[in-house]
Amino acid sequence: MAMTNLASNIKAVTIKKTFSRETAISIDIQADKSIIWALLTNAADYPRWNSTVISIDGTITKGGKVQLKSTLDPKRVFKLSVKEFEADNKLVWGGAMGKRIYTLKSIGNGLTNFSMNEKIGGPIFPLFAKMIPPFDKSFEQFASDLKKEAETISNTK
Amino acid sequence: MTIEQLTNEFELARPQLKSYILRITASIEDTEDIVQDSFIKTSQKIDTFRGDSSVKTWIFTIASNLAKDNLRAKKRWTENVNDICKSKALANPNYFPELMQIQQTSPYGQFEVKEHITFCLTCISKSLPLEQQICILLKEVYEFKVSEITQILDTSEAMVKYYLHTSRAKMISIFDGRCALINKKGVCHQCSELNGIFNPKQSFEIEKNKIEMAKAADKGDKEHLLGLRLQIMREIDPFSSNGSELQLHHLEYNRKIMENYSEKKEE
Repeated sequence: MAMTNLASNIKAVTIKKTFSRETAISIDIQADKSIIWALLTNAADYPRWNSTVISIDGTITKGGKVQLKSTLDPKRVFKLSVKEFEADNKLVWGGAMGKRIYTLKSIGNGLTNFSMNEKIGGPIFPLFAKMIPPFDKSFEQFASDLKKEAETISNTK
Repeated sequence: MTIEQLTNEFELARPQLKSYILRITASIEDTEDIVQDSFIKTSQKIDTFRGDSSVKTWIFTIASNLAKDNLRAKKRWTENVNDICKSKALANPNYFPELMQIQQTSPYGQFEVKEHITFCLTCISKSLPLEQQICILLKEVYEFKVSEITQILDTSEAMVKYYLHTSRAKMISIFDGRCALINKKGVCHQCSELNGIFNPKQSFEIEKNKIEMAKAADKGDKEHLLGLRLQIMREIDPFSSNGSELQLHHLEYNRKIMENYSEKKEE
């Protein structure tokens, strides 16, 4: 089965503004949307396949609350709530400063386009902007891990 | 299909069906009920069978739905089920005398390490989400195809693959951390401990070396080790094996412990 764009080619894009910062990434994955959705919504399973996640406690469901520990800042626990939960299509979670949007689109030939976008900001954003590490590498790793895991599952016999 | 044809097919499937339902429910009584109800239900629905799947797949579909209904309100077990049940057994003065009596009086009371491996896998697989447990059993133990499991679970092929992959990964991780048969740092030695109690004259090392999985442990291929573990389960019928009465008693004991444990955790 043909593999889509290689993990090494995935590049995140960040747009910095005075009062906000937005990072996005998009990748095509040779797997059914439901597999990717299952991976994105099984909180306890994240550390097994996603090297950017140390742990996620809680339930990723509509209105659910999760506590995320990320390799971006291992000492912090991000308390997030699930703001949108549209099965197989869109997941949005966030906290006080911003939100992350995951979107899935079937694009034919068994391919799914996965995109991830996070915007953080607000009136006091300039005060703490320098304290927030860049997301680009973490996003690229996340997308790469997701692609690898979903395509492995898709090829399960 | 006539009722006679269904009856014949059902009788052919019955041993595997009973074994499968027991491994999902861990209850002899529930297994008997579900298998019986499955026969009644297939008989009642015989006119709806269109031959879209094999009769065996259809029977397993109906039985799986009944088992899911049975388990819906029950908590899943925990990965450390055998630790919990061991500590309860050690604190119960009647536990080992009961097992010893079975061993001494039953023709199906032998303790065999392979059977304990199967027992252990049954218990630990109950810590998986139910769909994952059903998928791994149907695929790896009862040898259904992915396409047949999609029918049994009424789900997509993609989700069956997801359940299979995640259940395998979880089982590999649990056994790699626990099982001293495959990992020298494994914390669980129940096979050797119980073998020492029931077969004190046996050398556990000799018994261990009869098990392909234990012999292959040094090669470190964890996927392969899980495959060998599942193969042991595939080769053992929990209702007719040499130690079936002993192991069934043990399984019933664990189920009662875990049902109480789950309830207490909720309080």
